[in-house]
Amino acid sequence: MRLAYFSPMPPERTGVADYSALLLPALREHLDVTLVRRGSKRAPRGTDAALYHVGNNPDAHAWIVDAMRRRPGVVVLHDFVVHHLVAGMTIGRRDGHGYLDTMEREHGVVGRLLAHGVLDKRIAPLWESRPEDFPLAWFVLEHATGLIVHSRAVHQLVRAAGYEGPVWVVPHPAWPVPAVEPEHVASGPVLGCFGVVNASKRIPELLRAFADVREANPEAVLLLVGPTSPGFDLDRRLQRLGLDNEGLVREGWVDEGRLWELMAGVDVSVNLRHPTMGETSGVAIRSLSLGKPLVVSDVGWFSELPDDAALKVPVDSHEVETLTAALELLVERDDVRAQMGAAAARLAQQQHDLGRVAELYVAALEEAAGGAAVRDAVLREVSRAAADVGISPEDAEAGEIARRLAEVELGR
Amino acid sequence: MRILVTRPQIPFAWGGTEVMTDRLVAELRVRGHEAELVTVPFKWYPGARVLTQAFLWRMLDLDEVDGAPVDIVVATKFPSYLVRHPEKRVWLVHQFRQAYELDRTDLGQFDESSEDRALRRKLHALDRVALGEATQLFAISQNVADRLERTTGLHAEFLPPPPQELEYRCEGYGDFVLSVNRLDRAKRIDLLLEAAALDSSLEVVIAGDGPDRRRLEELARARGLDGRARFAGRVSDAELADLYGRCLAVYYAPVDEDYGMVPFEAFLSEKPVLTTTDAGGPLEIVFDHRTGLVVSPDAAELARAASWLREHREEAATFGRAGKAIADEVTWERAIERLLA
Repeated sequence: MRLAYFSPMPPERTGVADYSALLLPALREHLDVTLVRRGSKRAPRGTDAALYHVGNNPDAHAWIVDAMRRRPGVVVLHDFVVHHLVAGMTIGRRDGHGYLDTMEREHGVVGRLLAHGVLDKRIAPLWESRPEDFPLAWFVLEHATGLIVHSRAVHQLVRAAGYEGPVWVVPHPAWPVPAVEPEHVASGPVLGCFGVVNASKRIPELLRAFADVREANPEAVLLLVGPTSPGFDLDRRLQRLGLDNEGLVREGWVDEGRLWELMAGVDVSVNLRHPTMGETSGVAIRSLSLGKPLVVSDVGWFSELPDDAALKVPVDSHEVETLTAALELLVERDDVRAQMGAAAARLAQQQHDLGRVAELYVAALEEAAGGAAVRDAVLREVSRAAADVGISPEDAEAGEIARRLAEVELGR
Repeated sequence: MRILVTRPQIPFAWGGTEVMTDRLVAELRVRGHEAELVTVPFKWYPGARVLTQAFLWRMLDLDEVDGAPVDIVVATKFPSYLVRHPEKRVWLVHQFRQAYELDRTDLGQFDESSEDRALRRKLHALDRVALGEATQLFAISQNVADRLERTTGLHAEFLPPPPQELEYRCEGYGDFVLSVNRLDRAKRIDLLLEAAALDSSLEVVIAGDGPDRRRLEELARARGLDGRARFAGRVSDAELADLYGRCLAVYYAPVDEDYGMVPFEAFLSEKPVLTTTDAGGPLEIVFDHRTGLVVSPDAAELARAASWLREHREEAATFGRAGKAIADEVTWERAIERLLA
């Protein structure tokens, strides 16, 4: 199979670019892959299938969606919520009507009215204030001949959205751990949190919980790594909680090498999220590879992590208390950390193994390319045999046959 | 209990699965169960017919028969495990190997067209569903269990089936090497013939029949083996026991075989087994210089190994007896106890 591969690639600073940099060489062991130049509107000549990586960032993915509209293909849906992408490809191109139409198509008249409010600047941009309520996934789904998603949660979301094409759940591949010297930022237990510092990463909740943990465990340290979102007043929060002078180590944006050093040096990796856009966390995957116990929010993909590798904190009125208990357990119990870390490493090696993920991609692409023909051949033969003995499509027996075919994934 | 054993039927063909399942039914009956064999003919070509023929199993209703419930279904080989039953236990003989380890080999079935590639993937999906719904999963060899785990992520318990009932005995270590197998390419009988062509003192007896017989007979003629390579065809139980009893060693070297009863039968006759490093399942019991000889899949190596055994009959006997100790452990008592647990 000659595959046209559409994706952002490094040096673009996106999770999907990192993802493709990891996946592409493994995929090339199985398939003849042509990486499509950024901005190209068409798949290169001679390719017989196309794979489009689509996420919520319009800067990284708008050109890919443009190409996909010309030639539908298999989409790797990195985010279920693509409202920001839609805004970039409509309002960002001075196509307000496109935005209105997209909102109306997916959310009816109410959607159109809200879109007018956004265009008139009467309400806050929905892709910032309420994206999870208006995911606009059909903007992408309508051009997908098949979907690759990273979690069962997103699988359910696309089915609930009415997508009927084939969907394959392929885990995020794990990076091989580079040979780095772990950076131990403190002598006591270190809780690490990596990524953009903002409210949706539950940083306010994490800081409150950590302040409680420090009361009984003053040697514990929180390492916060990543740029602070504009408008998120971290310093004031730290001051209020008494974390401004001690207990917290802060680094801003770091490069990949430094990230691995810092991640390798922590005892626990905290990766909270709400709302989720249906994404998988590259940071969480790196933590698994490093064999670090995880503390995550009990949402989306994170909920699917096995209990022996991750403590899951529901996003509810008891979130801070539950988070405090989880952090205390891991700060105080070396044995629990060791067990969870071993389970995390096993998970990375087994479920997220790069070779396995590449094989799952090949399986999905092969099914996408020839699956419909196979299904047609099977249904033709079965229906002919049924008709030969007088079973017509309306008969109960035909329903029985259809059910049995669906059970073994031979039906439509 | 009322137990149904399922296996596909390939009309006019007879092999290890047939021996194993017939015996399983007989042994279940001996233990007081009502047991029956269920077979459906299977044709796996051309194109998507492998799926439609497999699908026939899915339409069977074996929950009850004639108003009385069926307690357990023991399914064995693809596609018989597609059958539905709330207490489906699979004793896996093998999956559809052309869709797995034989793909893109001379023994494969699917070409590079998008339809064939997708067809192969459909077979994988079929396995994941049909084997995934089994309440218990056993495999006839560790090799089969490993393949299953690799390809579907499903875990099966290794449960070897005992070999067929014969009047096993050892009447010494004669001059000929015996091959007992269905004659098809995957069984690699031609390697033994090529070895005989290299060593003019090597005699072979080939028991069994199959689609590769004509080619093998022509090969033997072309190599001038007349008189030293005897094609015995399908032999009776008594003849087979006699051949096992008199041979020097038993050759058994299919490509990545699932399991193979033959090494067990050889061992019960106290005979060493000659096999190759890529034979798969047999390597679980044929250990080099302990229960037989294991060589690379090369005619010259094989000829040398056969010659060594001829010159070291004491060692051949020692290997054979060590093999018998292993084979004696594999009993129907144990197999049925696990299957019905």
